[in-house]
Amino acid sequence: MTKLQTPTPQSLLPLTPPVFHILLALAEEERHGYGIMQDVAWQTNDALQLGPGTLYGCLKRMLAAGLVEESDERPDPAIDDERRRYYRMTALGRRVVRAEAERLAGAVTAARARRLFAGGKA
Amino acid sequence: MSVLIHCFSRCFSRIYRALLYTYPREFRLEYGGEMERVFRDRCGDVARTNDPVKMAHFVVASGADWIATNARERIDSVRTIVSTARKAAPRGLVNEWAVTILMYLFAATTLVQAYVIPTGSMEGTLRVGDHMLVDRAAYAKPGALGRYVMPYRDVKRGDIVAFLYPEDTRQTFVKRVIGLPGDRIRMVDKQVIRNGRALIEPYTQHVDPSIEPYRDDFPLSPEVFTTPRGQNMLDHHVVNGEVTVPPNTLFVLGDNRDNSADSRYWGFVPREYVVGKPLLVYWSYNAPTADLAEWNVGHLVDVAEHFFTKTRWERMFLVPRSQAAQDGGAR
Repeated sequence: MTKLQTPTPQSLLPLTPPVFHILLALAEEERHGYGIMQDVAWQTNDALQLGPGTLYGCLKRMLAAGLVEESDERPDPAIDDERRRYYRMTALGRRVVRAEAERLAGAVTAARARRLFAGGKA
Repeated sequence: MSVLIHCFSRCFSRIYRALLYTYPREFRLEYGGEMERVFRDRCGDVARTNDPVKMAHFVVASGADWIATNARERIDSVRTIVSTARKAAPRGLVNEWAVTILMYLFAATTLVQAYVIPTGSMEGTLRVGDHMLVDRAAYAKPGALGRYVMPYRDVKRGDIVAFLYPEDTRQTFVKRVIGLPGDRIRMVDKQVIRNGRALIEPYTQHVDPSIEPYRDDFPLSPEVFTTPRGQNMLDHHVVNGEVTVPPNTLFVLGDNRDNSADSRYWGFVPREYVVGKPLLVYWSYNAPTADLAEWNVGHLVDVAEHFFTKTRWERMFLVPRSQAAQDGGAR
């Protein structure tokens, strides 16, 4: 497994939808695999239901690219499960997901300018 | 209902655990446990909704996820192997190939064998230059266990068989079985008569309209060339102008009846000389007999130059069928 040498966030764009949503799921807290899966489903209104193969295939590549890392600390002893692996976003991951969100926002603006999209101005 | 939920998740978790073994080894060791845990959690959640549509959707989605990511990880692992192999061949790679080659050798030597038709004696059914696979297990004598594992049946009349040429066991021949042990065989004007019944043989071809004494009126007037085994057959197994096939042997003839060196000339095939049953023609190439019997540089050049034009594409994956002769009445 080769570690990429500090890539610029832009070189990794565009992200695939699973990678983007996994990063979003890890934006606020570290999560274990099933936590990520549930959060991605919640974010997308059940439109994107990751399978285990997709989830861990993405995590493998994201670890290699340095977007996420495995966490040693356990968030909350009450809900913690000793055997599970927790993942958290790295600084690079945060820059990449921000860049991707900006790219998507630009795309949404373009769509709105052409009256293809009337979504609320949030 | 909780029993049903329990069964659903347990059953599918088991299946999923087995499916995990199809992922590349490294990926499975690293993430297999986690994937199984996540799958079990999701399975439980879906089962608790009690919604058959959601359950079905989950099963389909899991299958799709398995297929897609399996392919992806396989490609990934091959890429990793290729990129690391450039630096130094790791032992894992050598091992993997060794296992593959061993399995291939096992399959090649015990189950199938490649074979090329060098002569025109089966012309009409098989052509010179047909490269085919022979199923070695088809007629193999099964052991106590093999009987349950391998599909096995004994040789029947009309079967095409590959066998070691009794006069020179380094050669493999392919012919059609005409007589089983105990059968009485004779020929009258190219017409085979078995046990007193004429055979209608749609698979034969005759290229020579004239009648030759021994070839077409077997086994009368045996003044033509026969091998020692052929002579032995004529000396000891002819009764009332008919050859009687002795126990544990076969009487075989080529489909190209007028131009075939077969049991008429070199006697019976011992049952244990049968190699197997031709499975299919995987490549048919128009080349002279000498080139097919022994590969040489000229033949390699010829194949390289004329692969597309001299390959008989229409014969690709042709399956030579055994065909029983019909009854043509008493003779």
